[in-house]
Amino acid sequence: MKIKHTIIFAVILTMIPASVAFAHKVIIFAWVEDGYIHTESSFGSKRKAKNSPITVFNEKGLIVHKGITDQEGKYSFKIPEKIDSDLVLKLDAGTAHQARWRIPENELVTVHSAKDTQAAIMEKEKLEERPSIFKIITGIGIIFGLALAVKFLKRKTS
Amino acid sequence: MHISEGILSGPVLASGAVVAMAGTAIGLKKIDYDHIVHVAILASAFFVASLIHVNIGPASTHLILNGIVGLLLGFAAIPAILTALLLQSIFFQYGGLTALGVNVVVMAVPAVLVHYLFLPLLGKSSSLNFTAGFLAGLFSILFSSLLLGMALWFTDENFFEISLVIISAHIPVMIIEGIITGFCVTFLLKVYPEIIPVRKK
Repeated sequence: MKIKHTIIFAVILTMIPASVAFAHKVIIFAWVEDGYIHTESSFGSKRKAKNSPITVFNEKGLIVHKGITDQEGKYSFKIPEKIDSDLVLKLDAGTAHQARWRIPENELVTVHSAKDTQAAIMEKEKLEERPSIFKIITGIGIIFGLALAVKFLKRKTS
Repeated sequence: MHISEGILSGPVLASGAVVAMAGTAIGLKKIDYDHIVHVAILASAFFVASLIHVNIGPASTHLILNGIVGLLLGFAAIPAILTALLLQSIFFQYGGLTALGVNVVVMAVPAVLVHYLFLPLLGKSSSLNFTAGFLAGLFSILFSSLLLGMALWFTDENFFEISLVIISAHIPVMIIEGIITGFCVTFLLKVYPEIIPVRKK
């Protein structure tokens, strides 16, 4: 009876969130096109990081540009002049939520093909993927595995 | 509530890691052999709770459930929350791995506090059970918000302003977590009272 109740409680607690799986990771994604750097920022799962400051640094950590995302979480700006290093874009999406994206120096001058853009979009979609059921179940499996290990160790020591 | 990589200074990260390790050691020592499965269940609940998103205005918040975890586990909540946060960081990219210690302190210390504050209220009457659960859920988020504000303050921020922003952003979560914790406690006392430590006494 005790085990039955435990299982029921576990199922209730773990199944409730499965229907409303929204991510809370912070993502900034950037790409270069026609002399501009375009960015899209989100909390994953298509939730956009609105009105969030974006700061652009060069390799030395000096600020070379600043901006704020729009209602769609987007922000575009012209590639700053006289850049001779990679650029790091930092998104501040609210208290304690921050993300970074690095654009290598060679990408700033290369002319990008449609294939490159397609690859970039696929990368962005991968970043925005919701946590899969597989990951959730694996995580719960690991927790119970660790609990069993603790139980085994406690039994051994006693 | 999860602090990302690159936000906090080295000393704050190191202090958080030390406190988290000490708390985990105490928690592991205090886990009752017969209740290890409860720890695993509540760690699992905490692990998936962050996927429930509360969308109010521009704020992006999610459920945490450290109140019920702490209320039912006491010090054992620390290793439970550490494990869940580590897995959240690896699988969902919530919070940075270097900030894991501080994230554990921010969420697990309030969990232990509400255990000692509100557990004595349980088992006296059904309305008091709900109230104790509600307050445990509410105060765990409030204390976590304050600790998060402190972590940022020690790094380089204005504590008062930051704390106000964090607390106001989490008010909906405080109320929702309070209601969920209240109902869970009331439900558990009816169908599975063994999981509530107070029933052992």
